[in-house]
Amino acid sequence: MNIVNSYRLMIRNVRINTDPGTLVFLVLMPTIYLVFMGYMFGTLINQIPVGTTSINYKEFLSPGIAAFETATAGIVAGGLLWSDRRYGMFEQILSSPYTRAEYLFGILLTTLVFGFIGSGIMMLVSEAFLDYTAVSLMGVGLIVVSISLGSLFFGCMFLAIAAKVKSNQAYNSLTILIIFLVDFASTVFYPITPTTPEALKVLFYINPLTYIADVVRSGYTSTVTGTSLVELLVTFIETIVMVAIAVLLYRKVRVGVT
Amino acid sequence: MTSFPIEVKDLKYTYDGRKFAVDGISFSVKEGEVFGMLGRNGAGKTTTIRILSTLLKRTSGSVEVLGMDPSTAGNRIRKRIGVVLQDESFDFTTVEKAFDVYGFIWGVSKPERDKKREALLKTFELTDVRKKRMWDLSGGQKRRVQVAREFMHDMDLLFLDEPTSGLDPIARRNILNMIKDLTKDGLSVLFTTHNLEEADYLCQRVAIMNNGKILASDTIDALKTGYNGLKTVEVKISGDQVGAESMFSKVTSGRVEPPIEDGLPYRIVTENTQETMQEIIKLAVTESVQIEWLNVRAVSLEDVFISTIAGGA
Repeated sequence: MNIVNSYRLMIRNVRINTDPGTLVFLVLMPTIYLVFMGYMFGTLINQIPVGTTSINYKEFLSPGIAAFETATAGIVAGGLLWSDRRYGMFEQILSSPYTRAEYLFGILLTTLVFGFIGSGIMMLVSEAFLDYTAVSLMGVGLIVVSISLGSLFFGCMFLAIAAKVKSNQAYNSLTILIIFLVDFASTVFYPITPTTPEALKVLFYINPLTYIADVVRSGYTSTVTGTSLVELLVTFIETIVMVAIAVLLYRKVRVGVT
Repeated sequence: MTSFPIEVKDLKYTYDGRKFAVDGISFSVKEGEVFGMLGRNGAGKTTTIRILSTLLKRTSGSVEVLGMDPSTAGNRIRKRIGVVLQDESFDFTTVEKAFDVYGFIWGVSKPERDKKREALLKTFELTDVRKKRMWDLSGGQKRRVQVAREFMHDMDLLFLDEPTSGLDPIARRNILNMIKDLTKDGLSVLFTTHNLEEADYLCQRVAIMNNGKILASDTIDALKTGYNGLKTVEVKISGDQVGAESMFSKVTSGRVEPPIEDGLPYRIVTENTQETMQEIIKLAVTESVQIEWLNVRAVSLEDVFISTIAGGA
């Protein structure tokens, strides 16, 4: 596999995806969450315990929304494979000097780029609209690793869906369903409390976005504990499993068949 | 470069392990030649192109593309070929950006991309729609972009899978002329089409395919040679087709070829057109079959094609 080829495809993916629709999806929607929920719930919720300390709702929400961007980036990745298959570019690119592996790696690189751009923008928006937070060097490291793993996990998840489903309606419906489930069954918007129903707790704990949001939050608010590292490990294992599933399903994608 | 950019021997391909989409075909394409593959839908033309352009792995047989085996040297082959697929392929962007991005993935430098894009937009009459998004274009305009875009990069061998489908006659002729010009510089082309006039205009040699097999392959002149001195009488029937079948079964002055699709005329290949026309009119009267029109013309590639398909079916 030639990494330069994957890089070249990543540039192509970014160039064709920098349209107003994608930017609105990537930036405006999370910004609306951040501003409206931040201000409105911020007046209702005082302090939320995180690690050994407690933070206000705006501080809680901002890193959550930055983590949420990894799922949004994943949708971009799945959308790329889906539209390339649907509109013939998958076959066209594979008849150019690119291998299947280079194409796949190009999409994963694109997911990372969109994950970092989205999360970065959300952090900047947080700084502008909400209270200023100083992030430690270790915090930055944790955020970077967590956003990378999250982008890869969701990129692979939506790639697997794009590789498997046959119709546009099915792809869109599944994507919307999963993004809502993943977002709301996580600690992006609210913490898990002792009164959270057990069934919901299970959902929260198998959802990697819970761990990504928690780790980004601990890095962002300098509240890193041993739990943060365990959560990072869980995210890593879940990402490895999802990469394997995506690669398996991607290998079965035939040219000329949508 | 090898003098035969494509050499295929006893190529077979099956999608499901039972039915062969390509069933033991052999042919070669010479350097600087346009080789046409003619056949009905499902004949195996597109599958053959997919195998040769490294998109599919053959089931059996031997294949050499630019002197290399596609199943082991895929990437080296793909660097030297161009492929215009039968189905549409486009990015969700503007026309000019589509050209630029395509050139970029082929590793063409920015100044070269700009130069080629401008020339191609002009040649393919796309300048007026250069700022439009691909999904806002008509089917013909999309097809023109798809064909033109392939010339953003250099190549030794070009696969064109029905490149002119959906194009108006002027755009079609422009593309054919451009391909003709490029073959003078040594470009070899494997071209599939349903349009036999196009094949007649562009191809030096053709292969007629049906049900995965090549039924005939030669120069167009050689294929027509079997019809020397013969002419075609076309008879379009209006009304009862059952009566028409009965009527044409009684024709003795020439070889009758029934229409391969509804709405097309019957064809009688004959040495004596006068005798055939008289016979047809007499039979039409006795069998009460109404003739809509009747026409006499020289044997065309289409006659060879229909005759070959009918004979091989």
